[in-house]
Amino acid sequence: MLDPLPWLILLPLFWATLAFVRGPGRGGRLAVAGLLLQLALAGGLARQVAGEGERVYAVGGWGAPLGIDLAVDGLSAVMLLLAQAVALPLAVYARAYYAAHEEGARYFWPLAGALLAAMNALFLAADVFNLYVTLELLGLAAVGLVAASGGAGPVTAALRYLMATLLGSGAYLLGVALLYGAYGSVSLSILAPLLGADAPLAVFLAAALMLLGLMLKTALFPFHFWLPPAHGGAPAPVSALLSALVVKASFYLILRLWLDLFAPLATVAAAQLLGLLGAAAILWGSLMALAQTRLKMLVAYSTVAQIGYLFLLFPLATDTGSVASASAIQGGVMQALSHGLAKAAMFAAAGTVILSLGRDDIARLGGVSSRLPLTLFTFALAGVTLMGLPPSGGFTAKWLLMSSAMHSGQWGWVVVMILGGLLAAAYVFKVLRQAFLPVEAGTQFKPVPRLLEWPAFLLALASLLLGLRAGEVLGLLGAG
Amino acid sequence: MNLAFDLLLIAALLWSAGRALTTPDLFRAVVLFIVFGLLMALAWARLDAPDIALAEAAIGAGLTGALLLDALGHLRGPVRRKSGLIAPSTVMSSEGAGPPAFPTYFLNGLAIVLAVALGLALAGALLLLPEPAISLPREVAAAMDASGVAHPVTAVLLNFRGYDTLLEVAVLWLALLGVLAVAGGRAPGRAPVTPRSARASLKVPRLLARVLAPLALLVAGYLLWAGAHQPGGAFQAGAVLAAAAVLLNLAGLLPGGATPRWVLRAGLGFGLLVFLAVAAAVMGQGVLLQYPPAWAGALIMLIETGLTLSIGLTLAGLFLALSGASRQ
Repeated sequence: MLDPLPWLILLPLFWATLAFVRGPGRGGRLAVAGLLLQLALAGGLARQVAGEGERVYAVGGWGAPLGIDLAVDGLSAVMLLLAQAVALPLAVYARAYYAAHEEGARYFWPLAGALLAAMNALFLAADVFNLYVTLELLGLAAVGLVAASGGAGPVTAALRYLMATLLGSGAYLLGVALLYGAYGSVSLSILAPLLGADAPLAVFLAAALMLLGLMLKTALFPFHFWLPPAHGGAPAPVSALLSALVVKASFYLILRLWLDLFAPLATVAAAQLLGLLGAAAILWGSLMALAQTRLKMLVAYSTVAQIGYLFLLFPLATDTGSVASASAIQGGVMQALSHGLAKAAMFAAAGTVILSLGRDDIARLGGVSSRLPLTLFTFALAGVTLMGLPPSGGFTAKWLLMSSAMHSGQWGWVVVMILGGLLAAAYVFKVLRQAFLPVEAGTQFKPVPRLLEWPAFLLALASLLLGLRAGEVLGLLGAG
Repeated sequence: MNLAFDLLLIAALLWSAGRALTTPDLFRAVVLFIVFGLLMALAWARLDAPDIALAEAAIGAGLTGALLLDALGHLRGPVRRKSGLIAPSTVMSSEGAGPPAFPTYFLNGLAIVLAVALGLALAGALLLLPEPAISLPREVAAAMDASGVAHPVTAVLLNFRGYDTLLEVAVLWLALLGVLAVAGGRAPGRAPVTPRSARASLKVPRLLARVLAPLALLVAGYLLWAGAHQPGGAFQAGAVLAAAAVLLNLAGLLPGGATPRWVLRAGLGFGLLVFLAVAAAVMGQGVLLQYPPAWAGALIMLIETGLTLSIGLTLAGLFLALSGASRQ
């Protein structure tokens, strides 16, 4: 049988390159076929990990430290599944979207393929320099996707995004150089046992630089300045890919470095600082979302807020005992998964509304409830996950985080999460309220193809049902 | 003698970097940046890293310099910064170009303080660096016999860490995709920029270009071949190819354009596809990118040949994609 591990990286690169050679706007069908296969491969890999535990793959047969190792454990298997599961419906959606709206379609498929390859390679990497290369690949693909729709606004947003992401990977690379200087290797498995609390100054500096760079890439408050214009201004399929997946990739890396490589250096003070920034992101992002007048900007600011929850896991998982810490990590990963599914659905639904109405003023959404009921239902279902209501994945995530907070006696974070949930309800209902108003006079709803509405609905449904299947997901996370 | 040279080099590096950041004249800043790149190449040569020196000279100073000069040519209006360091909005955007406000000075000050603090911390950390536990150069030397090539840098880039290179080639291709997406997506009917052929400062005599282009082809071929046993290889050879294409374009002999035809697209994707095909094919009896020892040399040469073509086209494309717009 095909070994899923290398093919998860090669396959998207193949279809990306072929789509490029076939010409502008082509390659959508190839991408959907490729993604179907990738989803099957990710499923196969997850089964392998669940059955046999962690797995190391020596590229070229050399092995670390001379060669590059890839590795897959529960966490990477879960993230790989998320990436393919979000990208496949979005690819179907994107084909319908670009058929109706050609702007930005020219290089979407090659860029999206490179994005997927970069993400899969990142989740499988076990070498800090190789991780840097995947970060660069991911960042450039994402910037290209934002810039592809042309026009002054998106290009300005893309350039600002480019500066932020290059600064982030530059800081990360500086950290890699310092680590290599201190230990002579870039392999995670070789570095981890060498690193202790007595590490030289260079290693502390490396840890700080790498974390700062990745925080910038994850758009953690106050580094979120680049995210709303980039995610809000891009075409809907791009916004969905970026908000659902790309920021999760750099978060995954922060989590991995914090838990594995830099665990001996991690202090409670640093963890509390990350938690405070996360709390600030939740409150600030939600308030800004509430203040928006354009639908996609609201959804983009909601991403800023939802990223905040991910960082609450650090104060809850550092020096709090094994029960609280395990539950915090599970909660953080569940949040990444459920937000990924829900935000992809929400941006896709927003894109459908914009294609049909031709505008995205929240104040003028009247009639969406009667003309686009499925799309509005999708938006509302995704909203349920963002608010953290049962039985959604968002509920499971917040419940796990809250029980960890209560277990370790850190009640402050519970208050922040409850406030965040209420604010999310406020901005979701702000949209729903307008959508239920009667149709404005003179408004024309263009009919939309079913392939635009159903993929988004499936994503929203998945984010809701994730809560019911949380046991299996957490089981996979715990394997290896 | 060597110490005096090194000190002079360091002083020149610091001076050119500082002036490039502080000079208000953008053209001068670009020229200083090119000077900085060439000095950097010298520094790499002094550090016994001729491969990096070649790449720095060809890409860091040469091609980047050409791109920056070209970008400068596309900027209309004043090309002077209001002040050095973080340029206010005059260049970066078209929004109001008033006098630098208080936040600009504040940000400049903050940037300087942070940069100095980081610089000092880095210097301190490097001075306290212990002897590394692992010596990769020793590991590389021990495995050279099985690598299929005789030059350690090529062995690392194409064999031991070939997977990194595979992804880096995709990075380069993505950079071009980004440029094509922006350049091709521009609304038609924008005011044309001065045609390149009319710009006296960039006019290269056609005769020179006709003589130099075939020579560059020869040099690229040599660099590619030499990469197996001495400094050289696909990246440097590709950079030389790209330089030839830029030269021909400047002389008006090679048209640019933001919408490559399929032959060109195939050429751009060729290197990556060959690399991917080899990576996948060797999995038949091993793992990803595990060359059979007897075939390693030949397969590396095959990959490098494909890469030279595609890297050359990609680097040239970065320059040519935007030059089409100036010819309308």
